[in-house]
Amino acid sequence: MLPYIAKRAGIGLLQAIGITVVVFFVIRALPADPVARLVGFNASPETYAQAQKSLGLDRSVWEQFTSYISSLLRGDLGTSWVTGSSVVSEIRTTLPVTLQLITLSFLVALAISLPIGIATARRPGGKLDKTVFGYGLFAGAQPEFWWGLMFIFIFYFTLGWAPAPLGEYSPNISEPAEITGMSLIDSLITLNFPAFGDALWHLWLPVMTLTLIVSGPIIKMSRQSMSRVLGSDFLLYQQASGLPSKQIARSTIRASLPPVVTLAGILFGFLLGGAVLIEQVFSFSGLGSYSVRAVLNLDYPAIQGTVLIITLASLIVYLALDLLIAAIDPRVKAQ
Amino acid sequence: MTIPQAEPLPTGPTLDARSAGQAAHRPWYRDALFMTGAIIVGISLFLAAFGESIAPYDPQIPVGPPSTPPSLEYWFGTDSSGLDVFSRTISAPRTDVTLAVSAAALSAVIGTMIGLIAGFYRGPFSAFIMRISDVLQAFPVFILAMALVALSGRNLTNLIFALTFLYTPIFIRLTRTEVLTQRERSYVEAARALGNPGWRVATRHVLPNSLTPSLVQLSVTVGFGILLTAGLSFVGAGVRPPTPEWGLMIANEAPKLVLGEWWPSIFPGIAVSLAVLGFAALSNAIERRVAS
Repeated sequence: MLPYIAKRAGIGLLQAIGITVVVFFVIRALPADPVARLVGFNASPETYAQAQKSLGLDRSVWEQFTSYISSLLRGDLGTSWVTGSSVVSEIRTTLPVTLQLITLSFLVALAISLPIGIATARRPGGKLDKTVFGYGLFAGAQPEFWWGLMFIFIFYFTLGWAPAPLGEYSPNISEPAEITGMSLIDSLITLNFPAFGDALWHLWLPVMTLTLIVSGPIIKMSRQSMSRVLGSDFLLYQQASGLPSKQIARSTIRASLPPVVTLAGILFGFLLGGAVLIEQVFSFSGLGSYSVRAVLNLDYPAIQGTVLIITLASLIVYLALDLLIAAIDPRVKAQ
Repeated sequence: MTIPQAEPLPTGPTLDARSAGQAAHRPWYRDALFMTGAIIVGISLFLAAFGESIAPYDPQIPVGPPSTPPSLEYWFGTDSSGLDVFSRTISAPRTDVTLAVSAAALSAVIGTMIGLIAGFYRGPFSAFIMRISDVLQAFPVFILAMALVALSGRNLTNLIFALTFLYTPIFIRLTRTEVLTQRERSYVEAARALGNPGWRVATRHVLPNSLTPSLVQLSVTVGFGILLTAGLSFVGAGVRPPTPEWGLMIANEAPKLVLGEWWPSIFPGIAVSLAVLGFAALSNAIERRVAS
């Protein structure tokens, strides 16, 4: 098991390095002019040259690369060209917002999808099964930003059951001190219960939107995995041996979990960089919104930083998953 | 959102397999999933070609008072600049569908060729290709697409290139996997024994037998392309206004939604939703029919 994990971590790290290098050179190879974007197209040549120098873009690409790598090794992702603050600190405040949003969505999606998937596997071809098949096909690819807007129209504008989509807290709430950066946890730690309720109030609609999208594939996978387990020999053997049905049910669910967990992990890693549009729609200042700003402003250090952090974060998620699966399924460890 | 597709599990009676059995005996015109997909895809392609010509108004110039609710005169109403929402919605496939189809076709062709080479000739080159496509697949897709388009200039050609770049690894992987199983078959051995040179065995014998997964993937990739184009335009990294494009239409009119003006953003959204569903359904139906 350990060599396997080490190998996975090694491959992942190589991938992260590969991505770092590729991103660095690709954004410099594309015909964008960040200096002109910063000083304006009518700037005098002197202003332009000065800005170019202060961004370090007057040096050769190779010199830029070596200085980028050497500061990277010191844990420094550089300074944003637009805001002037360090990319590390900006990611530190935006990443938790995204993490909280997608983690909650996953917990909700798993809580809904697992029982449904299992129920459909037990009665294949039934009404529920057919509905779920249609839903899986539908939810696998949908314009989630538009669904978010529709929910805002229905639940905020028409029914008034949700707040205006203007961020994580209402303006009249005293926001808790930023400790973890996650609104729910920060407000709990500081015992600021009005803020906790308000944070929850602002979270439910985006969480529901993301849940709608991610639960499709999770239901599909848990159904597939469950029906495979239901047809397996070990289950037949357990039944033949006369084990109590409760114990059989438990081992059935346990055996059907690994593929679902794997998929959930892949989706999670994907959403780290894919919740961009939902964050935009609900004005959450998460990593997604940050990356949009970085890209549209041609803020190279910020682009490089977000891509690297997202890659590393998904890498950690994948590794955690391998360990989790080994814990659930002893057959993996034996291999 | 384009959710990454899970690897199908090896065994077990899945709904797909069972319905495949039923659907296979049915003629194609009685296969509901296939027909749904085919009709939507047909309409999308038709509108991509003729949408702008059959639109009642010019989709790019104001034709009436701004923010008119749907009426007999303006079926889907007008947006905040007085553009006709119906005309814009049916003209948008010119951009969205054309772009997605081009990108999917390009990546299918390039990906299949590279996949064939990587699967048929195993060696350092093929290992290298696979590592590169691994790295590409580990990228945060949306951010990469956004960066590629924003940095190379927001126009149709660059969008097509960005999407092609993103979708090619899928086809490389699918083709290579299939080629790896095909090349061990006895017909390949027979073709070699008859004295065919390697490249001929690869292109004339292995390739035609390895196309199925890519063909199934093609339609669903078009759907993903539409979704990504709309998403990119939504954040301002896609086509430029006033081009009729679904994502852009939704983005421009989204602020009006919370004021109760639902029509300029609801109709393009339904269009995206249906189009993507249609292409996915067609892929799914083809997959079933091929599997049986």
